[in-house]
Amino acid sequence: MLAIVPSATLLGVEGRPVAVECQVSNGLPGFTVVGLPDTACREARDRVRAALISSGLTWPQRKVTVNLAPSGIRKTGGGLDLPIAIALLVANDELDAESIAGVAFLGELGLDGSVRRVPGTVPLVEAIAARTVVVPLDCGAEAGLVGGPDVRGAATLKSLVECLKGEEVWPALPRFHAEPAPPGPDLADVRGQEVGRAAVEVAAAGGHHLLLSGPPGAGKTMLARRLPGLLPPLDRDDSLVATRIHSAAGLALPQGLVTTAPFRAPHHGASLVSLIGGGTGWIRPGEISLSHAGVLFMDEMGEFPPTVLDSLRQPLEEGVVRVCRARATVAFPARFLLVGATNPCPCGRGDDLCRCTVNARAKYARRFSGPLLDRFDLRVVVGKPNVDELLRGGRGETSATVAERVAEARRRARERGVRCNAELPARLLDYSVPLTASASSLLEHKLRTNGLSARGLHRVRRVARTLADLAGDGDVVGDEHVCLALSLRAEPRLGEETW
Amino acid sequence: MSEAYAAALAALPKIGPVRLRQYLDRWTPEEAWAAAGDRGVDVDQRWEAYKDAGVAVHVLGRDGYPPSLADDPEAPAVLFSVGDLAALDGPRVAIIGSRRCTRYGRDVAFDLGRDLANAGVHVLSGLALGIDGAAHLGVLAAGDGAAPPAAVVGSGLDVVYPRAHARLWRQVAEAGVVLSEAPLGARPEPWRFPARNRILAALADVVVVVESRAKGGSFHTVQAADQRGVSVMAVPGPVRSPVSCYTNELLVSGSAPARDVDDVLVALDLLGRGPKRGRALRGDGTSSEAAASPDDPHQAALLEAMGWQPASLDQLVVRTGLSPGQASVALARLEMGGWVVGQAGWWEQVRKDAPAK
Repeated sequence: MLAIVPSATLLGVEGRPVAVECQVSNGLPGFTVVGLPDTACREARDRVRAALISSGLTWPQRKVTVNLAPSGIRKTGGGLDLPIAIALLVANDELDAESIAGVAFLGELGLDGSVRRVPGTVPLVEAIAARTVVVPLDCGAEAGLVGGPDVRGAATLKSLVECLKGEEVWPALPRFHAEPAPPGPDLADVRGQEVGRAAVEVAAAGGHHLLLSGPPGAGKTMLARRLPGLLPPLDRDDSLVATRIHSAAGLALPQGLVTTAPFRAPHHGASLVSLIGGGTGWIRPGEISLSHAGVLFMDEMGEFPPTVLDSLRQPLEEGVVRVCRARATVAFPARFLLVGATNPCPCGRGDDLCRCTVNARAKYARRFSGPLLDRFDLRVVVGKPNVDELLRGGRGETSATVAERVAEARRRARERGVRCNAELPARLLDYSVPLTASASSLLEHKLRTNGLSARGLHRVRRVARTLADLAGDGDVVGDEHVCLALSLRAEPRLGEETW
Repeated sequence: MSEAYAAALAALPKIGPVRLRQYLDRWTPEEAWAAAGDRGVDVDQRWEAYKDAGVAVHVLGRDGYPPSLADDPEAPAVLFSVGDLAALDGPRVAIIGSRRCTRYGRDVAFDLGRDLANAGVHVLSGLALGIDGAAHLGVLAAGDGAAPPAAVVGSGLDVVYPRAHARLWRQVAEAGVVLSEAPLGARPEPWRFPARNRILAALADVVVVVESRAKGGSFHTVQAADQRGVSVMAVPGPVRSPVSCYTNELLVSGSAPARDVDDVLVALDLLGRGPKRGRALRGDGTSSEAAASPDDPHQAALLEAMGWQPASLDQLVVRTGLSPGQASVALARLEMGGWVVGQAGWWEQVRKDAPAK
């Protein structure tokens, strides 16, 4: 007797439909899974058997063959346990074929017959073409996020079988708690740091990558953590993509759809694969994809291995990272705002009191390759706040006030046809960023005295555009904005070595 | 060829400068090689390498050895050179200092190098990063007829160290001479630099320390200069600047201050050959802060707040109370006017007449 049950498996952040075929035939009793299962999937055999027996269902003393089609894709994880069990029940005549017609299944089985959650429910459900899909009850809320098929939840195999036979009613699906996420840290907590605050605001408004350099205790991390609070809520597309990625990575989705900009801060011990995505068997999205449409904060950026840092260059440019493995090539969305924080040298003291040797400083500076540094539109030196400001200074502007300006600047950028000013193409710069006469003469002087490269010129103009948008000025960009854009893009400390 | 054997001896792994000197005081290079040499080494083949590299070999006590060095008690027994040894004829001043210096130090070293060369004084230095390099860049920026520079380096003449100075190294060798007591292929091992410093001190008539930390490498050169009775001069610096710590200490312990080229020329007893510029500037006060300050109040406030120490935009905004935008505009104008120089996010005041580099 043969049964076919639709399901799906995860490839990167996308689901791929899988048909689970099961045949029970005469022969020596045994259970074989074919069709490129990975280890977790192959172990389904033992889980399914134990779950059937603990649910009071019969385990056939005949030859059972399970095929996962199409056989070319690698099937990962335990999400196919439930469809295998159902297909086996149908093939063994415990269930009517009609009762599961047009129903797809997803879920991992426990030995006691419970149905457990699987990572990537959102993209998996999206990939399924059936009318109805049965998912673990825990994932019920997540599965309903993106529309698509009717969602039913199952808590245990036994209750599921009863529901399918029509002996029980389907359990109600859980819902997301509607309570909003607690607000993040507020920009008003940062005392002093006028330049640092301006840099964070510009980064949020224009989507400019930001490198903060300063001694320990200067407030680099404090500033960076306030950046997501300035970003506008995600639009529908970004929100769906981000939700899909987070679901595929197995992250909890406490609020349902991801609607606020994600913030990820990997430790500097992170491996290249954990940052970029990949892994054996199951190709997981990396940190850069988890921060898609949000902020990737790399604290102590100089401590990341140079190979890891340089691997960021291509995704920074393209907004997508292609992970190629022998078996499959997966494209992960990775459009993120990069915020780096670094000490000026290994001892961290920076300028005058630094005790590092020349070689140590040069070595530290070399950790950032030129092309990577080039991608930071904003390179800002922050110092320790002075005591007066720390103790007596008033609270600065709140995140809410700044976020309004940021939203307005982003709206103006959208009128130019881009999401944010950092994405303005070079050919549009003359049109979108007209300069006053004195501002352009100033840039010309910078170019002539080798203070600025051609690429740097473009980047300065984009930042100046953002500054003008934030200030609510007209279309023409004046001195003040160009000068501040130049100041916020400190040339890296590499020039020092030529002396 | 005695030189060939001398060069081969210098390259033997267990022979340092002192042992080499002992050998060659007692024996001719050929005898020494017969006694201590390595039979596996083809002396002729080595010699070809020196000829190919254009490196001249000078043996103490023979023709061609620089006479200015020959009398020194610790003179290297074998000296290698690229360039023209004529760059050692005449008055010589060593300009030394910290590798990690401030803008101030660089500018002073650059000016001293340029003005001394113009006054016909040969500038010696070690081709290191920082002050050394700045002094030689100054020499290269001097006009026609300037005295050619000379450098004494710690590595073999085919091992350029620091590599960032490859171009400067080549230019100095073309304009003047680069000396070393290390054979071709010798790595820049740490012990070679103090040894190199004694040669600098031995060659110089005056040693000028521009900027140096309390435990800087300049200490070795100054010590060697003291032992040889070579006068040491120091450039005064801010008393709170760590890179001026040692120079200020030298001044306290009796070294003559070197404010500009004239001070050095006085020490060389050559006054009158200088460009007559530094002193005049100081006299009429155009380079002091009182007479020359920009008209714009923002710019003046920034210069005031900056003082003579590097400051970040952040610090300047705090000190002046200007907005970051206002401060940036004023700083850009100051930079265009040559008042300040910005690098890596740090701003530093420079003298109005400092050369644009």
